[in-house]
Amino acid sequence: MKDCNDDVEKDVEKKEITRRTFLKMAAGTGLLAGLTGALAGCADKNPEHAGGKGWLPYQYNVAGNLPAQVRGRVPIDADNPSIVRDDRKCILCGQCLEVCENVESVFGYYSLPVVDETICINCGQCSMACPSGAISERDDTQIVFEALADKNRFVLVQTAPATRVALGEEFGLAPGTWVQGQQVAALRRLGFDAVLDTNFTADLTIMEEATELIKRIKGEVRKPLPQFTSCSPGWIKFCEYFYPELIPNISSCKSPQQMFGALAKTYYAKEKGIDPGNILSVSVMPCTAKKYEARRPEMNASAAYWKRGDLRDVDVVLTTRELARMIKEKQIDFTALPEEGYDRLMGEETGGAVIFGATGGVMEAAARTAYFLITGQEPPALFLNLTPVRGLAGVKEAAAEIPGVGTLRVAVSHGMANGRKILDAVREGRAPWHFVEFMTCPGGCIAGGGQPRTAVPPTDAVREQRLAALYKADASLPKRKSHENAEVAALYRNFLEHPMSELAEELLHTEYHSRADKLKRLFAKVV
Amino acid sequence: MTRNMGALVDITKCIGCESCVVACRLYNGLEPGQDEEYGTARDGNAELAPNKWTVVQSCRTEKNGKQIRRFVKQQCFHCLEPACASACFAKALQKTPAGPVVYNEKLCVGCRYCMIACPFGILRFEWDKPFPRVLKCQMCLGRVTDGQMPACAAACPTGAITFGDRDKMVEEAKNRLAANPDLYTGQIYGLKDAGGTSWLYISDAPFEQLGFRTDVPQKPIPEYTWQVLRWTPFIFVGWGALLTGMYLYTKRRAGVHEEEEMYAAVDDDDGK
Repeated sequence: MKDCNDDVEKDVEKKEITRRTFLKMAAGTGLLAGLTGALAGCADKNPEHAGGKGWLPYQYNVAGNLPAQVRGRVPIDADNPSIVRDDRKCILCGQCLEVCENVESVFGYYSLPVVDETICINCGQCSMACPSGAISERDDTQIVFEALADKNRFVLVQTAPATRVALGEEFGLAPGTWVQGQQVAALRRLGFDAVLDTNFTADLTIMEEATELIKRIKGEVRKPLPQFTSCSPGWIKFCEYFYPELIPNISSCKSPQQMFGALAKTYYAKEKGIDPGNILSVSVMPCTAKKYEARRPEMNASAAYWKRGDLRDVDVVLTTRELARMIKEKQIDFTALPEEGYDRLMGEETGGAVIFGATGGVMEAAARTAYFLITGQEPPALFLNLTPVRGLAGVKEAAAEIPGVGTLRVAVSHGMANGRKILDAVREGRAPWHFVEFMTCPGGCIAGGGQPRTAVPPTDAVREQRLAALYKADASLPKRKSHENAEVAALYRNFLEHPMSELAEELLHTEYHSRADKLKRLFAKVV
Repeated sequence: MTRNMGALVDITKCIGCESCVVACRLYNGLEPGQDEEYGTARDGNAELAPNKWTVVQSCRTEKNGKQIRRFVKQQCFHCLEPACASACFAKALQKTPAGPVVYNEKLCVGCRYCMIACPFGILRFEWDKPFPRVLKCQMCLGRVTDGQMPACAAACPTGAITFGDRDKMVEEAKNRLAANPDLYTGQIYGLKDAGGTSWLYISDAPFEQLGFRTDVPQKPIPEYTWQVLRWTPFIFVGWGALLTGMYLYTKRRAGVHEEEEMYAAVDDDDGK
């Protein structure tokens, strides 16, 4: 018994709580409790919330970042080949709707419910108007970079008429600065194996389109008048959606980009002895709709020509903005580049091709060549300065005398809302014109959906500067008429024989398909 | 008297622009994850998340032998008698008189009973947070109590979302169905489903083809639990009374038995 008592006394001595251990324990517990509380959010820094106290949680009583004015936005499909949207940047300002509805007359011109696709003509004007940069072109630069790094690939590039008056703006130059030579130099430094010019096929388009027009006027082909131009893919899709009954009026000519693509893998490949399967056909365009156009299933004339299923006429379409991004990524000092010339065979241009980038330009170029093709004489000065079709008026009309035929009546529109005025007139049978030019983007390709965002939303001041640059280049060129293009003449001599020959029909012409089953169209905007 | 608000979604008018999704994010301050693809209607993979209280689901189906694509805006239906609120013992989820079913994170204990209770599977748990919340659409309570419409309805460019008194919305839905019987299916989703919801839908394609749950009960879900739970006090009192009675009975029996034994012992002693 005695031993036992001793042990107990010893234990008590050992475990005695001194003042020191007690304070340590108390402090430790306090620290632990405080830490737990802070983590659990008890240490609230803002006990008085804007929404006030009460049962209802504060965070739902205060407005977040929603602007006072919200208008919504246009629908963009996840698989849209032309444009993408970064939702993190969208502020629902409604600028895209504004453009889609009032400039392009797409949104609001079909009745709901939708059928099974998002109605979009791929013009990319919404990306030009988006103030926060949420909408932009689908970036295809990686495909091109990879192909450029591949030594076995022959990467060929064509550049549209309108990129050379806008690309400089991405590098701090004034709107409308002429950078054709620097653009060629930059493309060579990026590693493109051949730098060629869409202007070459713009001239070719004029040869084919003017021939078709004359055949329509003379009644040699059973197709209605007026003939519509076909170089703006947004407009083509617009017509397929909203005016399918007028599809026969559209010229069967492909756009210059697609003519170029078809020739690059046939004529060019043949002449240069390159395997067409080894060519990556790239185009630099001011346009997002061209990305969609290149993917149209029927745009594989080269595949039919070589009887190889895997060929696409144009593999990758880059917008002007993407090209600028590539140049910046490779740290090329664009403004310091020397001016270089295009590669030969498909690189010659005339003034007629240069003005393709301007609203009214296709019309003017076609008129010059049509005059020559009909009369066999060079057109008078009026045709070299067809001012009625120049400028930024929404719908422009002109009439010109051609000896032996009479008066050629033409009309020009840009922006599909303006185009509608002409289309409605044609549909109702009160169209006096022989030839009508449609451009999807206001101002023409120079203000296309893939051009530098020099002013947001785009302004007429910038458009006018770019237009002036094109007309200045046209006036300064020694050859101003498409039929004077020597390389085009050589192409006909060595390959196609003559305009609208069997091979030309196969490679350079196409057909269009009604999309009437994709929407229920309205001719006036729904409120 | 507080007005009982509701919304009417006309699926035939939705074009899938997802303005509502962005408006919801902006108003409620929901930050998208870095790699997250936010918005842009895709077929079948738009999922609600703790930072996405509304999504637009794209569905392809057939009508009259033709392929059609429809967009369905998904968010909390704000049931008139919400199962989540009835399941929540912490009162963190409550139905407000104006219509919104609102979550209060300060009261939430994180048990997730509400997630099991919700017939539409709307609630989302912040699995990756140390102190997770259960999040869902709040029907922009602050705006609604101010007499404004929810952010999503305000942003809709085609008028697919109409907002107002629920009674008026039901009336509006019926008017639209009556005005265009060839287009609509004739059903109003949410009129009776789960006992009625504040968000109503009308459509030109059958709801089950658009991913709606058409097998939810037509009466309020809390009623089912109530059928059982209303017996709780009686069972509680009755069971107590029964046990008390048994206790008293056994106690008395033991007492009698003890007494008897005592007397028996006395008898034995006497016998000696």
